Amino acid sequence: MNYLAIIETILRSRQRFFLEIRQGAELHAKIRAMLTSGIVFFALYGMVMGSTHSLWQALSSAVKLPLLFLATLVISLPTLYFFNLIFGSNQSLTQNFCLILTAITVTGVLLLSFAPIVMFFLLTTNNYQFFKLLNVGVFAVAGIVGVRFLSQGMRAVSTGGDEGAKARRNVVRLWILVYAFVGSQMAWTLRPFIGAPGLQFELFRQLGGNFYANIFASLGELFGFFIVG
Amino acid sequence: MLDLLTEELRERLAESEKEKRPVQQDPSTWPAQESIQMMGASATVTSTSPEQEIVESVESASPPLPGLEPGLPAEAAEPSHAARLMRRLALWLFVAVIAINIPFSSHGTTLATAMPDAASYIVRDGFVVKEEDDPEFYVYQDGHFRWISSLDAFEHYGYSWEDVHIVPDGYLDRYEIGTPIHVLLKCPESPHIYRLEEGKKRWIRDIDTFVAEGHEWDDVRFVSCHYLRQVPDGETIPSNAGTPPQP
Repeated sequence: MNYLAIIETILRSRQRFFLEIRQGAELHAKIRAMLTSGIVFFALYGMVMGSTHSLWQALSSAVKLPLLFLATLVISLPTLYFFNLIFGSNQSLTQNFCLILTAITVTGVLLLSFAPIVMFFLLTTNNYQFFKLLNVGVFAVAGIVGVRFLSQGMRAVSTGGDEGAKARRNVVRLWILVYAFVGSQMAWTLRPFIGAPGLQFELFRQLGGNFYANIFASLGELFGFFIVG
Repeated sequence: MLDLLTEELRERLAESEKEKRPVQQDPSTWPAQESIQMMGASATVTSTSPEQEIVESVESASPPLPGLEPGLPAEAAEPSHAARLMRRLALWLFVAVIAINIPFSSHGTTLATAMPDAASYIVRDGFVVKEEDDPEFYVYQDGHFRWISSLDAFEHYGYSWEDVHIVPDGYLDRYEIGTPIHVLLKCPESPHIYRLEEGKKRWIRDIDTFVAEGHEWDDVRFVSCHYLRQVPDGETIPSNAGTPPQP
């Protein structure tokens, strides 16, 4: 099976793709294609991120980045499924999984497209905080496009009727926030992905602090307000 | 690369076969094609790859799906540029990542790490630096950089050359400089404190001298008296303090 042809269908003919998910057409084949492509794309981007520190960091990030997205998906999926069920949706768990995986795959494709840009800055900049914030920005943009795909897909695939449709839309919006929250904490737990200069390679850093405080501190150092210690 | 070549040949063969095939009026005899939506049609042929066909029955009166626009135009056959580009981009990205991680110097420097990043070091306890034109080493502890006074101290505290980061001159100007680090030794059974320099122990006469030298009690290391007795005596601190007592 040509996995990338399926990915291209998502990008070029998303309406047809969502129709096929709604009809349950070859869901497992789609899931396999998206999982395989997504893992490869995230791994490549992870390698680019980690290359700024060392080869070991590159390899470590190549494994951890796909794990981050898939683990967050697995943790957050039951919430979406059961809340949709409560508000009248009759989508199966597989359809929900397929839809979320679509969003993740789109995110992966966008990360792949950003990878040459990030590599350019990797080779030409010497500022760790800037590089970290650049990657946060890239993930934010790719993630936003991905969740837009998810929203469109949920609307297209929903067959629960008008009752509860508004509630289901709100559930999706809320779930996206939950997914982002879980994902950011998962990222903090699995760090480092880039690797701070001056520190030896570590598979995992000590727990402590949180994602948001760290980004705030990086912004502060980048703009000269304080020095991160 | 072989996979790319195979895929390219397969696509070109498929395209040339499409060009040779005469136009068919009966949709049911069309082999693998892109999805065609026909108004009022009783059958739709779709495929996601040249090898697959999915035949569905669609009611002509079926309402459009929410979120989808009615009356979608028929999709013409499109070459899979995006799939090919994704594959090539992934391949070249992989090659580039490998290439920038190959060391090109005997020190293990790679393209990815060649850019000096002194401006972006994370300053934490245990961070050892040396300015380019200054022979002195400093280590960051408790909010300030402390001068490592001797090679003995450097080795005694377990630092190695790999831990040292060369920073531009003036890098330390924005940090507070703390008390120097010396190797201060004392054995439990003796009240005397000695400073280790160049392999010799220098007796510190009293507490006032200890404080005046800028030492801190936290820097004192406890060792066995047997070990201390074996270390040769150096000049006392201050130098006219007399014969140094043995621990």
